[in-house]
Amino acid sequence: MKDSKSILLLVVSVLLILVSFALLWTWGYQFNDLTKAKSGTVFVIKDSTAAANATRDSLKRVYTATINSVGTLDSTWLTADSLKGNLDIKLSEFYKLRNEIAILLKNPGSKADIDNAKTKIGELQKKVEQLRDRNVEVERENARLKSVLEQLSAGNTKDAVQNLRTAVFDNKPSPEKNTPVAVFAASDLKLSAMMVEDDKEQETYQAIQTDKMIGTFTVRNNNAAFNNAEIVIVVLQPNGRVLQNSGWESGSFETREGKKIYSSKLRFEYNKGEAKHLSFSLSTNNFEKGNYTMQIYQNGVMIGKMSKTLI
Amino acid sequence: MYSVHSRLKWGVTVFFSFFLLTASAQNSVKQNFQNAAVYAGIEVGSKGVKMSLLEVGKSSKKNSSFTILKDTSVNTDFISFTQPTFQATLNGLHALFTVALKNYEIPSERIFTVFSSGVKIQAEKDEKTSWILNLADSFKLRINEPKRQVNIIDVTEEARLSHLGIVPATRRYNTFLIDIGSGNTKGGYFPGGNTKDFKLFQLTWGTKSVANAVDKRTQDDKTLPNFNKQLYRVLAGEANNEVIYAVNLSGAYNMSDNIAFSGGIAWSVATLMLPELVENPVVPVTYDEVLKFSEKLYANYASFSDSAIKKNLTDVTLDKNMIGNEVKKVNKVFDQRSLMAGTGLLLKIMRQFEGVYDKKQFFLVKNGAVGWISAYVDQSISGIK
Repeated sequence: MKDSKSILLLVVSVLLILVSFALLWTWGYQFNDLTKAKSGTVFVIKDSTAAANATRDSLKRVYTATINSVGTLDSTWLTADSLKGNLDIKLSEFYKLRNEIAILLKNPGSKADIDNAKTKIGELQKKVEQLRDRNVEVERENARLKSVLEQLSAGNTKDAVQNLRTAVFDNKPSPEKNTPVAVFAASDLKLSAMMVEDDKEQETYQAIQTDKMIGTFTVRNNNAAFNNAEIVIVVLQPNGRVLQNSGWESGSFETREGKKIYSSKLRFEYNKGEAKHLSFSLSTNNFEKGNYTMQIYQNGVMIGKMSKTLI
Repeated sequence: MYSVHSRLKWGVTVFFSFFLLTASAQNSVKQNFQNAAVYAGIEVGSKGVKMSLLEVGKSSKKNSSFTILKDTSVNTDFISFTQPTFQATLNGLHALFTVALKNYEIPSERIFTVFSSGVKIQAEKDEKTSWILNLADSFKLRINEPKRQVNIIDVTEEARLSHLGIVPATRRYNTFLIDIGSGNTKGGYFPGGNTKDFKLFQLTWGTKSVANAVDKRTQDDKTLPNFNKQLYRVLAGEANNEVIYAVNLSGAYNMSDNIAFSGGIAWSVATLMLPELVENPVVPVTYDEVLKFSEKLYANYASFSDSAIKKNLTDVTLDKNMIGNEVKKVNKVFDQRSLMAGTGLLLKIMRQFEGVYDKKQFFLVKNGAVGWISAYVDQSISGIK
């Protein structure tokens, strides 16, 4: 009886020890996870060879993962001719950094080398993020160009040419330092001449019938949101003068080419990535026959242009 | 001697009025507005007599229900209340009335004659109210219309009519109009969404009164740097307190999206700062633009000469001669110090509306002078009054 009691106590003691170990192991595991989560990728370098090797291996894994995540962008880079200039620079920086890290990880001489590799991997990750953002832009441009091609094949040449122009404006090389930069891209530009009869509006192509001109377009940017974004519209009449509603709606603004008079200014709230549809209306006593040119400006930079002919 | 002088002055006034108005009458009125109902409003103001010709009935959303065709004025300085200025004012009034009646063929019942609030205020201050009545009676006698009404407008009504005459209907209930005159500033807005309730805004400071206060402070040192220094002190001192108090009292900050300035200084700043918009009666501006303009007025006044401004115009479609002439006109009316004083006051008022988050749109109105008389005519004929 006594023996059976001792055995029971022994079993309970062993179980308690096992449970204690299990609990200790769980706490240790959780603590390790928490540390990792807090610092993103933190590598504690110990001065022992084993620890150094472990760190190196860990860095290698992060490095490989980073390099692999870039692989998916390659096809886009190869097809994005219009953005190639910018991408080439970014890519050469990326490759240079990648090689430096590879050399450091292959044969780490000291703790300083590993620290250096760690910093460089951080930089590499940032560059990958930048390239990924750029990739989104490239894909958007590809989608737009694709729709232009579709319009061309469907015979809608006028709209297609317009959208193509817009795309070309968007992909202009980056301006020099200290010059204004447009953060919006404009698309789907349309300028319609309207006649008004019995409060009903109808599109016309005849100058004599035109009571007003209505312009519509879409702006978009994938970089930031704005509480008070501003787009300026210039509509040039056949005589080269700016079409204006009244002094209350028009004014002048600075561009790279000097001061210009605008026909209309549109202010709006903007959420990042949103396709914002904007419109304006201009009227005058007498619309002349000829070519009317609509120009869309943002921050003094032209982001879209199209023409409309009235006969 | 006085009689000869008076006759000569009358003759010259009539001759010039006929000359100026007949030259443009055929072109601007008869050609462009053949079927229009053209009315005339003649205002006896502090500085002289003004006539506005307007076409009523075109339901235009751009500028209320009337279009200003032409405006002209004769300087007579009525508020001096002397016999020669009385006579000159009577002659000017008669001359403009005759031009409207004979040259423009506007029937007498479509010609409105009225005294401005400035005349009334000064006459009451100087106890010369009888001079206004005498002038009205003499005018009625001369045109042989004893029953003609020559009303006197009070300051609130004048500010209300200015708003109706200048600000388009589409912006009527969210625009605060401020007229910066030479001796004072007045304006207001419609807080209740109707044209009857008008919130008046008044300041005892104008372009000339600021310049005079600065001049008084400069004492022996009449240099420009000292004028600039004293201008800052005047605007930061008494003027500042009054502007802040008046703007707060008006409650306009929360009620208005647009702040429009009229008066001589608004016309001058608009013309010199945005010469490319010479043909626009109203121009939009920002606080920063006016601030830069103000700094340039002091540091590089030569850049506002007609030749310098014409030289800087890059747009080939602009009429450089027209711009040059308008700039010359501004420079004749205002010298560098008056411009600095007026722009300083303008900035001081603008500053009260320049919020960090709630941005107001500022406008400078160039043809503000014809605003109230035009609205008076419009209101009189539409039977509201």
